[in-house]
Amino acid sequence: MDFKLTPDQDDLVSAIDKLAQQFELKPTEFRGFALAGHELEKELEDGEYFGVAQVPELGPLCAAMAVERLARLPYTSEIALSMLVLPQLQGEWSRPLALIENGRPGRYVAAARTILVIEGDGMGIVQPMAGEVNAAESLFAYPMGTLRAGVRVTPLARAEAANIRKWLRVALAAETSGLLQAAVASAVDHLTQRKQFGRPLGTFQALRHRMAECAVLAGGVHWLALKAAGTALDGDAALAAMHAQESATRVVYDLHQMLGAMGMTLEHPLHLWTYRLKALLSELGGRGGQAQSIAQLCFGAKPPK
Amino acid sequence: MDFTWDLEQQTFRSTVRAFLDAHLPPDWESLAHGPGSATQSHFSKKFCAELARAGLLVPHWPKRWGGRDADPWTAFILAEEMWEAGEPRGGQYMNVNWIGPTLMRFGTEEQQAHYIPPMARGETIWCQGFSEPEAGSDLASLRTRAERQGSSYRINGQKIWTSYAGHADTCFLLARTSPGKGGISIFLVPMDTPGIIVREIPSLIGEGDIHEVFFDNLEVPESTMLGAEGQAWEIARTSLSLERVGIPRFALAGKMLQRAVGILMGAGRFGHGAIEQAARALAACEAARFYSYSIVDQRRHGLATGPEASAARFATVMAERLVGEFVVEQVPEALSGGDAMLLAHHQRAIVAGIASGAAEIQLNLIATELLRLPREPR
Repeated sequence: MDFKLTPDQDDLVSAIDKLAQQFELKPTEFRGFALAGHELEKELEDGEYFGVAQVPELGPLCAAMAVERLARLPYTSEIALSMLVLPQLQGEWSRPLALIENGRPGRYVAAARTILVIEGDGMGIVQPMAGEVNAAESLFAYPMGTLRAGVRVTPLARAEAANIRKWLRVALAAETSGLLQAAVASAVDHLTQRKQFGRPLGTFQALRHRMAECAVLAGGVHWLALKAAGTALDGDAALAAMHAQESATRVVYDLHQMLGAMGMTLEHPLHLWTYRLKALLSELGGRGGQAQSIAQLCFGAKPPK
Repeated sequence: MDFTWDLEQQTFRSTVRAFLDAHLPPDWESLAHGPGSATQSHFSKKFCAELARAGLLVPHWPKRWGGRDADPWTAFILAEEMWEAGEPRGGQYMNVNWIGPTLMRFGTEEQQAHYIPPMARGETIWCQGFSEPEAGSDLASLRTRAERQGSSYRINGQKIWTSYAGHADTCFLLARTSPGKGGISIFLVPMDTPGIIVREIPSLIGEGDIHEVFFDNLEVPESTMLGAEGQAWEIARTSLSLERVGIPRFALAGKMLQRAVGILMGAGRFGHGAIEQAARALAACEAARFYSYSIVDQRRHGLATGPEASAARFATVMAERLVGEFVVEQVPEALSGGDAMLLAHHQRAIVAGIASGAAEIQLNLIATELLRLPREPR
């Protein structure tokens, strides 16, 4: 057990941080829902950062750190699945990689070159043809899309599907961690600057304590996400995803309360993180789905008949 | 960054587990009630002496004081295993975690020579005289007075909620020597000094855990003072920072959660509602564990632990709460004679958010020092 970064890990984290700093601010004129980071994506591709998990000195743990850092940006690109899930697929598949669950709209589906399709307990994969995917208007701050019903999907073998499901959970937890950190920081800024009753909102204990609890939850998600990426254990991944979705449920509500009406506007960036978090709440079966997996993986329960 | 235990850490954990297997009596689970009780206090002296002889009481202490300079991970693995086993060291865990190290840093040679060797041999129980009827979270307002009279001090006042006082040999006592926060001093007071009266307060926590302690014209020599007059706040802050992630409560909480789930599965009662509640609680335990590990790792690398220690403590409080709620809701029979260890854990968990500084004080610290929110007006 040693949480100090190796020199290689430290170099990667610094490089990602330097890259991210260019995209730290939301454009003032942006009033939309999903702020697409095409330039960010190009920088990541040019720097070959999508292959971090496959570099032996770095591995999935560093990929998770990168996902977490980049999720703090107001811009969004399909990063988490490319960095953490794509390397686990057998065969050659192209990014962007997206996920469709039970026919519902999924993140980045309209631009995806590979789509994982979850239907009940089964999982398949497809490279969509033109016309098989469509963009969907959404309140979620991701570009959402749909896959045409009836598209032929190649089923994944049970073992591969289980492995992919694990890394989907790690990706979800790492992304949630970054989103939580950015959302908390955004609310802290507001509470520091906004004055009511003659003093900053952040001086009122009722809000200070709620913010502190949000920060503790975000910190827990951070550690469980990194641990899951580091150990690559199924149970750790399920626990990380569970804690991520559980914490996000609570934090998103609290932060919007902190921001008041300002948090309802598209001018303020808070929704860019909170409405991404909301999109992640339902993925992979939501908390109920993680709990069923934890019951089997961590408590030794038998699978339901 | 590495999330696996190295061979030395694994071996040490196995050694501690083997020691526990060999030295805990068959009826330990029923003994584990009331860590301050007469039975467990008596047992802890026998157990800690054996632990010391095996080199497992204070491995992280310097060689000079009976340790082997082991790193903070060793100390924490030891603490995890002990707490998970129901803390057979009783109140002596405080000696190991913070009283000994505090004396090593601030004590005189005479104090160190007198007090540290018996701690390292597992022979002595301490209590901490901090809280008072009018000074709980607002510790700086404490009123117990220590008035200098030549080369001695006369102490008058009252402490409350004092754990282990009924069987303690020595009290780590905070008393006021002058007004204000800078006017508090620490005295190391033998509990058999005339003028000390201890009264147990019956509680939910278990037999012999909390007490009132009265100091009536207690006369102690100035050599009992730890550090300089008025240095208590600085010393106590150091001590409390060691204690903030001192008890790995998540370890026993996680073990008891597994036990409760085992009972439910055995009875065919582990349905959807229980599964979700248990999964949520286990995730919280693991979050608290790795939050705490991050603090241990900072210590290991010689870094000062800041407000993250308060965050780790609060994460632990949340985990304890979720496990407690799970047991009460899903295995209520545990609190009515159904399972001695689940009951003992529930009783100990009651104080998770209160002892060693209320959880709300930790939230204040997190808001100010971690989030950098503006301070509350005073």
